[in-house]
Amino acid sequence: MSEQTPPPERAAESPAPQPETQAPPQQQRANGGRDGVILEVTDIHTYYGSIHALKGISLQVREGEIVTLIGANGAGKSTTLRSINGLNNPRKGRIVFQGKDITNDPAHSIVKMGISQSPEGRRLFPHMSVLENLEMGAFQRTDRQNFKEDLDRVYALFPRLAERKTQRAGTLSGGEQQMVAMGRALMARPKLVMLDEPSMGLAPIFVERIFEIVKEINQQGTPILLVEQNAMMALDVAHRGYVMETGHIALTDDAKALAKNEQVQKAYLGMD
Amino acid sequence: MNVFFIGLTNGAVYGLVALGYTLVYGILQLINFAHGDVFALSGLVAFSVLSGKFLGITSDDSMVIIIGALLLCLILTMPLFAVGNALIELVAYRRLRTAPRLAPLITAVGVSFIVQNVGLAVYDVEFYGATELLPRSNAIEIGSFAYQWNKLIVLLIVVPLLVSLTWFVRSTRQGKAMRATAQDKDASAMMGINVNRTISVTFALAGALAAAAGLLFLLQFNMRYDTGFQLGLFAFTAAVLGGIGNLSGAVLGATIIGLIEAFNEGLRWGHPLDGAWFFPDVGAPSDWTRAVIFGILIAILVFRPEGLLGERTAEGT
Repeated sequence: MSEQTPPPERAAESPAPQPETQAPPQQQRANGGRDGVILEVTDIHTYYGSIHALKGISLQVREGEIVTLIGANGAGKSTTLRSINGLNNPRKGRIVFQGKDITNDPAHSIVKMGISQSPEGRRLFPHMSVLENLEMGAFQRTDRQNFKEDLDRVYALFPRLAERKTQRAGTLSGGEQQMVAMGRALMARPKLVMLDEPSMGLAPIFVERIFEIVKEINQQGTPILLVEQNAMMALDVAHRGYVMETGHIALTDDAKALAKNEQVQKAYLGMD
Repeated sequence: MNVFFIGLTNGAVYGLVALGYTLVYGILQLINFAHGDVFALSGLVAFSVLSGKFLGITSDDSMVIIIGALLLCLILTMPLFAVGNALIELVAYRRLRTAPRLAPLITAVGVSFIVQNVGLAVYDVEFYGATELLPRSNAIEIGSFAYQWNKLIVLLIVVPLLVSLTWFVRSTRQGKAMRATAQDKDASAMMGINVNRTISVTFALAGALAAAAGLLFLLQFNMRYDTGFQLGLFAFTAAVLGGIGNLSGAVLGATIIGLIEAFNEGLRWGHPLDGAWFFPDVGAPSDWTRAVIFGILIAILVFRPEGLLGERTAEGT
């Protein structure tokens, strides 16, 4: 389990771009940095109080990719997302998004830059309606004219939400709540979506559906960083994967290769 | 009937203060004990603005000038205490955001003493009041029912404030941010809401409402540096009665408290030790108002801790 396969991606990794070499904004938008790398996390160390939760995590997400982060409970998957989204800024290391250093930015400005998230446990606003929850997803946007368009896109992905738009989010079933959480993340018109345990606690039929939608969102052009305990499903939809273990990246490879990896099969896929 | 309207008027003042408790509780789950003292200090400052060297308004001035002065006073004190209250949050509570809940609670008691002693240092132990400023002549008179000018002004100010507060929370972007932050701070941050700023705005709103209440109280009663302690507790009881965290609940609770107080003092209802037939020296029935109101507080906490309109979780509306 502790064997480290040297990942090809990591070998190719050069030092992160310096802040002075930032490309002008329009250029960033066009190509999202070098080699289509949209998010580059380099050796971050994050703490919860005095607990050293992340001990040097590095990962990349490229344009058009689904990247999955798998691993056992407490490995630091959610903490990695909280480091990226600004809720728990790392003490060491760098996070570069579209060529801009966002390591120490507060959460609300990171959303503005184009990273949105469907959090673990969904975290809807229970007393607001489905529609109000979706509106909150678009909170930081100023282009109100595109709002309707995005709403239609979300309703097309999740027709159930259109039926339930006036219902209070707290009264929905778990699967429907997950749909709201994902729809809410999409309402931000993100350039990168992070999904934290979208299949957690859902009936198998919903799990299948959620992963289909993950694929669909990606095919519409949004890169996805997917955190999952359901490693088999996650590796099935993802292009690449990272396996986390107690604050480290233990393995990284193409998703197909990881799914065939003996240790991964043993530890996370329940195969002997 | 007259007693009813007296109760309604007092309830309106309590309501403004109760809203301050409930707004802050809704968003931080913090009982801001300093709030009553912020109210009292604002009343004293309002006195300074109205009287003496500054505006020098007396009851001899015409009604128009008096009303204008009162509005000017609100324009000055409301932003002042909005900023003041937001600063209290910034200095005293923000760093304790992730601390156990007892820590900010104790800090709030400390801030309460600080604000109270600022009032004591500046205004000493004197009572101040502007009760003569507005005429006590009847504004409305129908048969035996009469409503005085100095009470009507309270409703004239409170009702627009409540309407605009409701509009603000329901319909504005900042109001939505407040409601979202009250429900889930982390999720709100993930939506791009600046949580710190939203909390500052909430404290500012609470401070502004307290400043309005301070002026209105000053027009009815005499007050001094420690008036905020008891009134704050009444308003807090009102907020709990309505369901803490619930805005309409705070107004409802405050109205009920105001009515209970007015009936208790005015009609001598349910007063077992009425001086007339028991102890001649025990005194006026108002001595029992506090017992009744805090009795209600205990009863609610025991039997219906979520309040009349409250739900299990706190909400910003």
